[in-house]
Amino acid sequence: MHQDEIPPGTLYLLILRTLARGGELHGYEIANSIQRLSDDVLQVEEGSLYPALQRMLIKGWVKAKWGVTAGNRRARYYQLSPLGRKQLEVEVSQFERVVGAITRVIQTA
Amino acid sequence: MQWLSGLGRRLLMLVWRRRFDYDLEEEIRLHLELREQEKREAGLMPDEARYAARRQFGNPTQLREVSHDMWGWQTLETLMQDLSYGVRQLRRNPGFTAVAVVTLALGIGANTAIFSVMNTVILRFLPVPDPQRVVFLRVEGRPDNTSETGDDSRTFNEYTFEQLRNERRVFSDLMAFVPLGIGGVAVRYGEDPEIVPGDMVSGNFFSGLGVEPARGRTFTLEDEKQHAPVVVLSYNYWTRRFARNPSVLGQTLFVRGVPFTIVGVAARDFWGVEPGQPTDVWVPLQNRPEVTAWGGSADDGTIYSTPAWWCLMMIGRLQPGVSRTQALSALNPLFQRIAYEGVGKRNPKERPPQIYFTSARGVEWGDTEAAQPLVALMAMVGLVLVIACTNVAMLLVARNTTRQREFSLRMALGAGRMRLFRQLFTESLLLVAGGALVGWVFAGWSGAALTRWAGLDFKVALDRTVLLFTVAISLVAALAFGLAPLRSAVRVAPGLALKTSAASGQDRARLRAGQLVVAMQMALCVVLLVVAGLLVRTLRNLETADLGMKASGLLAFGITPPQSVRTDAEAIHFFQSLTERLRALPGVESATLMGNRIGAGWSNNTNATVDGVSMKDHQPSSMRWNAVGPDYFHVLGTPLLLGRDFTDTDSASAPKVVIINQTFAKSYVPDRSPLGHYVALDAKPGEDHFVVIGVAADSRYTGVREKPVPMAYFPYTQLSGTGTMHFELRTQGNPTALLPEVRRVVREAGPDLPLIQPMTQHQQFEDSFSQERLFARLSMFFGLLAALLVATGLYGTLAYKVGQRTAEIGVRMALGAERRQVLWMVLRESLVLSLVGITVGLPLAIAGARLLRSQLYGLEPGDPLTLAAALAGVTLVALVASLIPARRATTIDPIVALRYE
Repeated sequence: MHQDEIPPGTLYLLILRTLARGGELHGYEIANSIQRLSDDVLQVEEGSLYPALQRMLIKGWVKAKWGVTAGNRRARYYQLSPLGRKQLEVEVSQFERVVGAITRVIQTA
Repeated sequence: MQWLSGLGRRLLMLVWRRRFDYDLEEEIRLHLELREQEKREAGLMPDEARYAARRQFGNPTQLREVSHDMWGWQTLETLMQDLSYGVRQLRRNPGFTAVAVVTLALGIGANTAIFSVMNTVILRFLPVPDPQRVVFLRVEGRPDNTSETGDDSRTFNEYTFEQLRNERRVFSDLMAFVPLGIGGVAVRYGEDPEIVPGDMVSGNFFSGLGVEPARGRTFTLEDEKQHAPVVVLSYNYWTRRFARNPSVLGQTLFVRGVPFTIVGVAARDFWGVEPGQPTDVWVPLQNRPEVTAWGGSADDGTIYSTPAWWCLMMIGRLQPGVSRTQALSALNPLFQRIAYEGVGKRNPKERPPQIYFTSARGVEWGDTEAAQPLVALMAMVGLVLVIACTNVAMLLVARNTTRQREFSLRMALGAGRMRLFRQLFTESLLLVAGGALVGWVFAGWSGAALTRWAGLDFKVALDRTVLLFTVAISLVAALAFGLAPLRSAVRVAPGLALKTSAASGQDRARLRAGQLVVAMQMALCVVLLVVAGLLVRTLRNLETADLGMKASGLLAFGITPPQSVRTDAEAIHFFQSLTERLRALPGVESATLMGNRIGAGWSNNTNATVDGVSMKDHQPSSMRWNAVGPDYFHVLGTPLLLGRDFTDTDSASAPKVVIINQTFAKSYVPDRSPLGHYVALDAKPGEDHFVVIGVAADSRYTGVREKPVPMAYFPYTQLSGTGTMHFELRTQGNPTALLPEVRRVVREAGPDLPLIQPMTQHQQFEDSFSQERLFARLSMFFGLLAALLVATGLYGTLAYKVGQRTAEIGVRMALGAERRQVLWMVLRESLVLSLVGITVGLPLAIAGARLLRSQLYGLEPGDPLTLAAALAGVTLVALVASLIPARRATTIDPIVALRYE
């Protein structure tokens, strides 16, 4: 199945939204969630999640905690912070604005 | 705020860097394993599952690096890497590091030491707050009817001070100060009197300048108005004399016999405002006859009673926002009105007096007397630094050749040129930092020695300015020698890493550059050695100059008659009885006295008058004279060519007599015996005539450098105005051993009479050329240092060259070359370099020596003996430096050399 690359800059948006659904996820689970929810359309180079997550850690959009997986493995669980929640709104509105503009340009023949 | 917590997290990462990396590593590993497991469960083979997982993930290494770099510390991390790598490299070559650091330390340290002296003497402001606003007042065109003591341009009268101090528009504070004596004032604490520099100052002196007391209090305006008998000590004096005893406050210090109460100690680094000498005690302006300005006698009047006496000096703090030109244009009209108050009418033909300002900076040593040699020293020491830096540059270039493979390997692996540059530059900075640190310590220690040699009383401090200077020249040095090896290092082609042979064509260009550098170093060395040689010979000439007298075995000290002595007759009687008592001391062969001490630089000058005729249109026209005591020439050991010496019988009532010197006789009374002719002190009619009773050989008066001048000696008993006189006691043994007995005798004559500058006459003459001595010693040190550095540089170059040509030499020897020929091959190289260096350096040296002409004594700048010695020295240095590499070349075993190519 051919997967489309995601537009640059939207990786943060996707991760934030994934985490916004609540709970704590570790990197693997985030990658799977994005893939599943996009019906396998979006191909995220999984490794690029990690730099993005580091960035979001610096900026304070997510919080991280070490925990144990179901299979008794040590993993780092990420959780959205209030700051991240605000950032999500900002990013969503920005994205919608951009997409809206593009749509308008396309539709106007 | 968000930014701040972000910074906080980033700082945390910096501390726990390794932990972060480890955590990320674990995360990625988990991810890959889970993905692999998923693929396996989907039906793939274990191997394929792993590859598929990897593919889906991406490049972990790159991702790790990107994640790491997200935290934003790359620059810092690369810097740390460079530093630790550099340190490791330096540690691995301890010999090279030691040589480089020591070389740099000597260069930087010497520069810092000289600069710190220059800074204190020339550049530094008074240690008061906001020193740029503080100015000394000077006058040009003092009114005619006034008399002055001190420096003609610095002194004003008290009336001017009172008027100007109220000019609030111009000055926030105007302070006055005047010394209590020339060279010092007699003070006594407890039993022993001594002479210390002391000033009378206005009440706002300390407060206006902004000097806080370290103990007790400073003066107030009340103190000045009441002429209170209080005294403030300098911190230095308090340390020296009272061992920093805090209970000194409230004790009595006798100043010229008058009791003063000690009320405070000034701030630690405040030396007063007198040019050239730190002040030890301050008292408020006094109105009593015993404590007078400039140590004048009671008859001279006080500063308040005689407006015609301009003796007070002023220093002021300008109001903020007032520029100097504004201040002067406000002050001068007022000044021109008040300058004539109480003095007389202004002569319309006279130029009106003007006030001008000078900065309160440096030590103001009269003229640029001290500045010139200091600047010359800075130039010399700068040359030494150049030699040192070029040496280190050559060392680095040589060492980098052994790192060729390392560089080409790194470039092949993807390192950019900038990365290598940064690496090498960091290493240079490390070396410079090490050199600067050691040099700083060296400068601090040698600075103390320098000031002691120079006879400076000031403590030369390594302050902020000096630190900035050190950092600046260190950076310049780092740039100078750090960049040189860079070019050669990065021009290396990456493919070189794969080659094994050491020979390469680039070596020749580098070799040529190295040779040029060594030749230039030799030229500089020639310059330094010539200058050093000239100065050392000057010193030698000064030390062995014929003084016209026997200077050893003489004790000299000055005595001022006590306050109780009022008239000339009393003063003469005082000195006569003192002379008797000193003569009677065991160990004293003979004693005499004189008005101006020989070798101290003071002299009396006037126009000569022979047989009633003034010589003022004659060539020469002047005569130097001194008031001396009986047995004068006998005590000093100056031969009398005609006539007799002074004796006790030449008293005030006896016929007036004079003894002239050879030059006087030759200039004014030639072709006949001068005995019986008359000399007068002044051409005015009615002046006493003195009969010439003897002619003495020429001898030095003011100092060693003096050229023969016409001189006349008068008995002090037959002159008026007897004040301080200087005794000379001749003894067989060590003159200073006489001092305790002398002090006892003097104390009997008066308890408050200190010995003024007691020292041997020999010491007095030596002091007169102490600056030349310092100069000579320092230049010799720098010359030797330069020679040492050049020797090491030459040695390095030659050793490297021999190492490079090992194979070639091996072949030559295998083909039958004798050891002698190989030796000559190496020596020829160094001799050629020396020759080039000498050719370039000699004209430079002569030009430099011409600049120093005024410092030399007894020889010309182009003195051939010195030049020859310097050239021989440089050649010797070259030969010595080439010895070891030459020997090594001759001991090359051809078979061994050819085997290891």
